[in-house]
Amino acid sequence: MVPQRKRRTPWKSWLLFLAFAGPNVALLIIFTYKPLIQSLQYSLLQWNIGSATARFIGLDNYTNWFSDPATANVVRVTVIFTVFTVGGGMVLGLSLALLLNRKLRGTGLARTVVVAPYVLSGVAVGLLWLFVFDPNFGILGAVLKAVGLSSPDWYNDPQWALPMLIVVYLWKNVGYVALIYLAALQAVPRDLIEAATLDGAGAWACFRNVVLPLLGPTTFFLSVTTLLSSLQSFDIIQAMTQGGPLEGTTTMMYQIYQEGFATGRAGYSSAIATVLFVVLLIITAVQMLVVQKKVHY
Amino acid sequence: MNASPFANLNRRQLLQLAALVGGSAALAACGGPAVGEAGGAATDKATDWTTVTPAKEITWWSNHPGTSKDLETELIKRFTAETGIKVNLVTAGANYDEVAQKFQASTGSSNVPDLVIASDVWWFRYMINGQILPLEALAAHLEMDTADFNTTLYNDYEFGDSHWAVPYARSTPLFYYNKSVWKKAGLPDRAPKTWAEFDEWAPKIAATSITPLGLGKGTSWSAWWFCNMLWGAGGAYSKDWTLTLDTPEALEAAKYLQKIVYEDKSAAVTAKDQVADFGAGLTGCTIASTGSLTGLLDAAKFDVGTGFLPEGAKGVACPTGGTGLAIPASKSPEQQLAAGMFLKFLTNAENTAYFSSNTGYMPVRTSAVEGEAMKAVYAEKPQFRTAVDQLATTRVQDWGRVFVPNGDKDLTTAIEKIMLQQADPTEAFATAAASITKSYEENVLPYL
Amino acid sequence: MSADVKDKHAVTGAVKRSVTGNVPATPSKIGWVSRGRLSGYLLLAVAVAAMILPLVWMMLASFKKRDEIYTVPIQWLPASFELSNYFAALEAVPFGNFFINSLITTVVGATLKIALGLTTAYAVVFLDFPFKKYVFALVVFALLIPQQIVIIPNYTLISDLGWINTYQGLIVPGLASAFGTFLFRQHFLTLPISVLEAAALDGASHWRRLWTFVVPISAPTIAAVALVSIVSEWNEYLWPLLVVDRAEMMTLPVGLTLLQNNDGVTNWGVLMAGTVLITVPVLIVFFLLQRRIVTGLTSGAVTG
Repeated sequence: MVPQRKRRTPWKSWLLFLAFAGPNVALLIIFTYKPLIQSLQYSLLQWNIGSATARFIGLDNYTNWFSDPATANVVRVTVIFTVFTVGGGMVLGLSLALLLNRKLRGTGLARTVVVAPYVLSGVAVGLLWLFVFDPNFGILGAVLKAVGLSSPDWYNDPQWALPMLIVVYLWKNVGYVALIYLAALQAVPRDLIEAATLDGAGAWACFRNVVLPLLGPTTFFLSVTTLLSSLQSFDIIQAMTQGGPLEGTTTMMYQIYQEGFATGRAGYSSAIATVLFVVLLIITAVQMLVVQKKVHY
Repeated sequence: MNASPFANLNRRQLLQLAALVGGSAALAACGGPAVGEAGGAATDKATDWTTVTPAKEITWWSNHPGTSKDLETELIKRFTAETGIKVNLVTAGANYDEVAQKFQASTGSSNVPDLVIASDVWWFRYMINGQILPLEALAAHLEMDTADFNTTLYNDYEFGDSHWAVPYARSTPLFYYNKSVWKKAGLPDRAPKTWAEFDEWAPKIAATSITPLGLGKGTSWSAWWFCNMLWGAGGAYSKDWTLTLDTPEALEAAKYLQKIVYEDKSAAVTAKDQVADFGAGLTGCTIASTGSLTGLLDAAKFDVGTGFLPEGAKGVACPTGGTGLAIPASKSPEQQLAAGMFLKFLTNAENTAYFSSNTGYMPVRTSAVEGEAMKAVYAEKPQFRTAVDQLATTRVQDWGRVFVPNGDKDLTTAIEKIMLQQADPTEAFATAAASITKSYEENVLPYL
Repeated sequence: MSADVKDKHAVTGAVKRSVTGNVPATPSKIGWVSRGRLSGYLLLAVAVAAMILPLVWMMLASFKKRDEIYTVPIQWLPASFELSNYFAALEAVPFGNFFINSLITTVVGATLKIALGLTTAYAVVFLDFPFKKYVFALVVFALLIPQQIVIIPNYTLISDLGWINTYQGLIVPGLASAFGTFLFRQHFLTLPISVLEAAALDGASHWRRLWTFVVPISAPTIAAVALVSIVSEWNEYLWPLLVVDRAEMMTLPVGLTLLQNNDGVTNWGVLMAGTVLITVPVLIVFFLLQRRIVTGLTSGAVTG
């Protein structure tokens, strides 16, 4: 009876497929796709989240968001935060990986230490850094004072609050980027890397033309995953600045939360979420195109 | 692993899958709001309270203001002993905003509590969303002595001839000063009576090489204490629903704030927590909530003095804050009646004194202010007396700040632009006014 | 540091040397290398210090009394290492419950998530279904949908089901596996088809083929997905914040924020003690298992 199994009637094998993939797909439909569509519907409503009723207002939420003077600032903050956490994170992560890949004593321990913050809770990380940055009572201010500098006003000055968040985000996540790059580097012949990192002349060219392309797939993988997590980061902002001061750290994701739950404008919040979703789709599509062009050589 | 049980599992899983998908479609239909005309506030006309028997068990959502969980538990124990009604105390968040977020999100679900924390900037939104009950009829039925509530504190919850909550953990800002600094500067042992007097004193305080006044920041805070300067100068955030931020008085108050921060350098905005800065001796005086009194007396290594907020050119002006308690509209009359009974119990003279003396919040009843419990507190912490006395000078909040979604946030942004970035007050206020007016038109007007 | 990792380095080093090592190094190159080494060590030290110092500062603060924290200039070491802040934190909020809740949601959530990812990937790779490409696309596309977009409708659904303050409410909405499915599929495509054909000839059902043949040879990938799932479940914040309002049902990150005060002075000592309580156990586990974790993380990503 046994070897016959392969020759099932099609519907039987379909049932088998559904049994294997069905639960996961069902969960995705119930908790991701259906709410996504509901959210699109909400974005056309004037709806206060506590209210049982809502008014249909067409695209007003969208036009309001695009015409709101605060929007330019939110977009600026989001772009800066994303560029520095994703781009900065990859540059820093790759540098760290190159360092950890060298034949030095203690790299194993250093690698562990560098990755450690990645497993910590964002809320805890935010709180502990809040106490590091405190201009009066924190360790950073004391260190700066010791070398004759005064602590920037991290909590009051939007120009400094955003860099503070970026530093904390990188501290938590850069180890992961470094680790992935490190694994990829171990597949690259060591001589190539040494040539690229140690020799003066031609090192950059060697690195750019030989090593970096070899890391291409890894770079793509990281650019997609870190972009997604950066755009969705919430816990560090909530623990440290709650979007302030002067909305200097309000990213689109934080604005979605704030409008939806703090202000309670659920329709407006859904509209911003939709805009963000579309932007994410476009960026990912561009990433895919770039990869398809570059991957074959 | 035999083939046949797997085949069975297969079919069963399929059925479950079908049920799940079908179920989700049904649920999609019932989730979310009903689209149509805007709703509006609830009414209590339908209920004849004399025919209702109270429920045996109710749920209360609190954030335990001022770390008061033990006190609340104790009050519940006493209430249950008296009436036999069980009260489930739920920690619905760490602060007013979190409780409010959960309460708003719970609408239409089975998870609505019977009694809920309703802070000054939130109750109005509960009201226009139709989430809470007007309390007049219930209070009359229960013979709750509402006339004995402190008038300002009770009328903070008044709109459209009804009261929608009753005061519970209520506070005011208070002027705190460092007595040893005052002594060093050769000042009399009291708070400055007016802002003009503060300006005279400030150079003497600065001469002891510390910042004279530390100012707090952040939402629910900047725009709260600024009421003092604004109202003192004769201005207001709004008159009813009309924003009045472009009046000369409002601009004058903003310019005064800029003057003490940038010209006189007699005030500085704290990095994080003005109470902590003051407690560490970094500033000579500060404005903070009465709720911080107990913590400050514990933390400070010097003698802490308290006084009324300084007066402006147009006299005294002090806002109130903190939270009240409201009864959700969607529960059954039985639940609401039981919640009303508990509300009455929580805010009676004896219990408000008990709560107040252990936290630092105001005794919300006039009859409690001079009761034995409070007298004992004044004897132990004379600073507390000042806070209670100041209640007489308080005034109801401007609607533009507390009733409009984002009102407090927009005003905070404007005030922080003014004091942190020396922005032009006219411009900063105009931006806030435009935004608040728009929010009013979209989020409040359709529901009134 | 484990001997294993050093061994591995030694081995790879030896291999490299045997391949390329016969070229005698010029003196100038040696100079470069040693100078490079020095700067390398310096950089390593800086990186390690930047990672460790904030954690040390947190530990120290957790022992300080309020007046030791609020002093200028700052006081580096606490007057004594007594545990009063820890007792205060444990007394203020039920940390034991938080811990158990975090453990349950993480273990159950991550296990089910991996199982779902494995079965889905298996179906997509090894089973016949005319539209399986689209099914896979549907699963992977979900990666692009930010969690916050779906949170309001999901909250409504969970509360309609009466799942507020329950483990299923915490776990089920985040259960679907998109990332895991993606990684498992990539990995399954690289598996030698002969193994499975042999299993099929033995008469093993698909169910059995998955669990007794495919799963064992996929251990590194599974470990990688498990790790990512565990870390994200353990640290999840926004969803548990919304669906739980009883302290007894809260997870660690949500419970921690209960220590922040409303109207009083922020009590950094107690807050940092709470932060230590939630970070240090994770760090200890991480350092104990670091070799596995590191290989797990990387093998997953490299497969992807």
